[in-house]
Amino acid sequence: MIVAVCGTPLLAGALLLAAGRRAGRAAPAVAVGVAFLVLAAAVTAAVTRPAARFAFLPGRTGGLAVDDLSAVLAVTVASVLAAVLLYASVEGYGPRFHGLMLVFAGAMLVTVTASDLVLLLMGWEVMGAMSYALIGYIWQDAGHVASADIAFLTTRAADTGLYAAAGFALAGARSLELSTLSGAADPWRDLIAGGVVLAALGKSAQLPFSFWLARAMAGPSPVSALLHSATMVAAGAYLLLRLHPLLAATQWAETLVSWAGVLTALLLGAVALAQRDLKQLLAASTCAQIGFMFLGAGTGSQAGGTSQLVAHAAVKSLLFLCAGAWLATLGTQRLDGLPGAARGHRLVGVTFGVGALALAGLPPLSLWITKDTVLAAARERSPALLAAGFAASVLSAAYAAKALAWAWRPAADGTPGGPGHRTPVPAGTALTALAVAACVLGAVPWRRILGVPDEARPHAWGLAVSGTVAAVTVAAVVAAVRRGGFTAPRWALGWLYLERAAVAGVARPVMALARALDRFDDRVIDGAVRSAARGAWWASRLATGRIEVRVDGLTGAAGRGARRLGALARRPQTGQVHLYYAQAAVVLGVLAAVALLAR
Amino acid sequence: MNENPADLAPELCVLLAAALGLVHGLFLPRDRQGRVAVTCAAGLAAGFAAAAVAASRPALTAFDAFAVDPITHVTRLAVLGTTLGAVALAAGGVRGHPRESEHHVLMLLAALGTMLLGASTDLLVLAAAYLLASVPAYALAGFGRDAPGTEAALKYYLMGALLGVAMLGGVTLLYGVGRGTSYAVLQEGLGAAPAAAVAAGAVALLAGPLFKAGAVPGHFWVPDVAEGAPRAVAAFVTTVPKIGAFAALYRIGAQALPPGAAGWPALAGTVAAATMTLGNLAAFGQDNVRRLLAYSTIGQAGFLLVPVAMAGRGDLARPALLFYVAAYAVTNLGAFAVVVATGRDELSGYTGLLRDAPLLGGSLTVCLLGFVGTPPTAVFVGKVLMFGAALDGGQVWLAVVAALNTVASVFYYLRWIVPLFGRPDGPFRPARGPAAVAVTAAALSLALGTGAGAVLAR
Repeated sequence: MIVAVCGTPLLAGALLLAAGRRAGRAAPAVAVGVAFLVLAAAVTAAVTRPAARFAFLPGRTGGLAVDDLSAVLAVTVASVLAAVLLYASVEGYGPRFHGLMLVFAGAMLVTVTASDLVLLLMGWEVMGAMSYALIGYIWQDAGHVASADIAFLTTRAADTGLYAAAGFALAGARSLELSTLSGAADPWRDLIAGGVVLAALGKSAQLPFSFWLARAMAGPSPVSALLHSATMVAAGAYLLLRLHPLLAATQWAETLVSWAGVLTALLLGAVALAQRDLKQLLAASTCAQIGFMFLGAGTGSQAGGTSQLVAHAAVKSLLFLCAGAWLATLGTQRLDGLPGAARGHRLVGVTFGVGALALAGLPPLSLWITKDTVLAAARERSPALLAAGFAASVLSAAYAAKALAWAWRPAADGTPGGPGHRTPVPAGTALTALAVAACVLGAVPWRRILGVPDEARPHAWGLAVSGTVAAVTVAAVVAAVRRGGFTAPRWALGWLYLERAAVAGVARPVMALARALDRFDDRVIDGAVRSAARGAWWASRLATGRIEVRVDGLTGAAGRGARRLGALARRPQTGQVHLYYAQAAVVLGVLAAVALLAR
Repeated sequence: MNENPADLAPELCVLLAAALGLVHGLFLPRDRQGRVAVTCAAGLAAGFAAAAVAASRPALTAFDAFAVDPITHVTRLAVLGTTLGAVALAAGGVRGHPRESEHHVLMLLAALGTMLLGASTDLLVLAAAYLLASVPAYALAGFGRDAPGTEAALKYYLMGALLGVAMLGGVTLLYGVGRGTSYAVLQEGLGAAPAAAVAAGAVALLAGPLFKAGAVPGHFWVPDVAEGAPRAVAAFVTTVPKIGAFAALYRIGAQALPPGAAGWPALAGTVAAATMTLGNLAAFGQDNVRRLLAYSTIGQAGFLLVPVAMAGRGDLARPALLFYVAAYAVTNLGAFAVVVATGRDELSGYTGLLRDAPLLGGSLTVCLLGFVGTPPTAVFVGKVLMFGAALDGGQVWLAVVAALNTVASVFYYLRWIVPLFGRPDGPFRPARGPAAVAVTAAALSLALGTGAGAVLAR
């Protein structure tokens, strides 16, 4: 069963990719069918909890297993995959798109069900490679490919942390099983935690890696709806939720993750509020919302972090799909190009409104409850975390309201972008299902499902305060947008200059070093090789010209010398006995000296 | 004490043959003394058979002065075999000579002395054996009664007298400080003796065997005797006495002197290096093949002294010496046999031998290439063992010197080999008997070389 969950999308995706154009028009239908099969398998697996144990490395058992957390994640991934593919089935994407999406989802499913680091790394890496292919889906456009490069390179750079963690785990825990990592020996445990946190920060686009998500918006909207809601960016949060015992074992990792999350929520919330482009706003808000998941993971709120992940997955994929729908019909995703959009596409407008209000944390929608669960856990840790988290939630209400207000604003000339535009039935179904999920997911009994009944629950007054503040903020922002908006600071508009900083601080030095090494290679190493060749040539010329003659001469001299020595050797043979006697006596004396002195 | 005369059966066979030959010669007419050669050859053959039988028995000591061990076995077999060859070589030359029977008897007595030289484990017996091996050889050298032969005999005798006296002095000195003449007693007694006395005594003692071996400083007689004495006698004196001399030298190093006494490896190594270098260098410009062969035997003596220097060091020294000495004896006899067969002394006289007398020329080529150390001849195996012994004993410098000398020796051997392929000036008329000996020796050299594994396994 577990193999069916992970293997079906991988196999089907690979077949679609191999078939290529021959799959033709059947690809969307096949993909949707596979996605629903996977969903059914995932639900079954969530109930039956199968496990498959095998060892990739000799003596290091591992495998795939479904526990509480994996079950929730697997169902979430499968649901979002089904919804997104259903929506995309009428958008006219080819087999390559669907194949990549299926392989990507399969890799994510492997990642969330893996019980050892090797399998997790495999899923993690395939996911990264597929995300590169999907972000750069329109490869004919150099800009898209450059964006894919940046996204891929950034996440890959952070992924090295996970490789290092796997190595440290082998060294320290003598095991790669995720459940044993927290028991690793002393220096190794901290190193493993460091590697894991680095990889999670990169994959989830937390500070300071957030900028890659802005570039990832170059991909098609359904890609963003899958990658930047339930998968890819969620993988980092999942990893930290899964490995919370490891974080807890090293005090510093919990604190680091909490603060990285809450600061990302705060700063990227401000960035989202400043954006003038709908998809950029949504991307920044994704970073901010995942920041809440990190806060949950760092404060030990399994229920808060996971419910936030699931609810956000539904909300954000819904919003990305709506943005895609408008981009397709209006040709723009700029906020000031949106007025009239929601009114022209009623279904899209209504579902977008539901999603935006859920994102704003308005009662009684899902994120209101999940976010407050996380904040309740943060309150137990530190008031500063709570304060920063509360400020971030106000910001999330503000940017959600900004997007909502622009979308629902009437068109300036009174004519909606696409009057009477009808949404295709599959797309409408997908949007509606996601919107319903965005409403009700907060009411799910997460503590019971995840088996953590004792975790912090939101207080009634806390819920009341946050709901009221969210409502007031939404009202204020909508009023502000009505009045003509507000100017945003440049640092927020420019994503905190993170990309520029990364380019200046990392990319340029690395490139400069590479060029220097290249020059070194060209001039010194290559030069040495060349000069060695030249030297050999010179030496050979010298040898043929002079040395050979000399060697010849040397041989002749040796021969002559030997002859002379031969003549010398015959000299003692005088033929006169008295000389023989003298010589023999001298030699005997010398030999006596040798015998006496030699030891 | 073992006093069983049967343990000395090979020696007794030779002695009996010599006595019979002498008596025989007294009563035979001058023109029919050729039968004495047959008598002597029979005695040698009987001794060879007895030695071969004795070789299959365990080692023992007879009369407290004769070791009957592998060294003695190889010495006996090599001496008897080569003496048989030498008698065959000389038989034709001395036929009809007024003292033909004495010639053969002298050869037998010298061979007897040589065997005793190699078997004795007592200084006094060694001295007696030295005299027995030397005195008949002096007479043989001057047997031709011509001017060069007489000069050769005189020089041979004078050198032997000087070094023999030195040897007797050494025996006296070692007896004095070692309180005995038996090797076993000396090895115990010399350990506590003054080092200077032991060193002087050892060097003086070595003078005798070195003279018999034709090594520095007792090498002066070799070229003069090889050139001046009759060819068959030259073949005999440059081959047979050396066998016993090397056995005696090895015994002195391994059994008489305590380990490390008299600076042994360095002393014998110095002699070896000096001998091989001198012999090989002096052979360079020789146009007289007998002198060339004489210097070649000096060079080979140097190589043979390498395992002697390694006596008691490593397991390779003894097999190296015994195999090399047998190989040398066969090869040297073969080369001289060709000289006897052709009757020519000048290098230029051998031009075209391979064309005119392919068998004889081939035998000479095999023998000379053997001296160079070309596989699959016997000397090649001996040289390999010799290098192995030098390296085994940790004397790398000696191995290097030996290797350089081997390279240098190629030159003068090739000087002789190359003309063999040329066009002959006139027809060769090789003597049949010596030619047969040469062919036999060359064949034996090849057989020993190819069958070295089986021989060494014994």
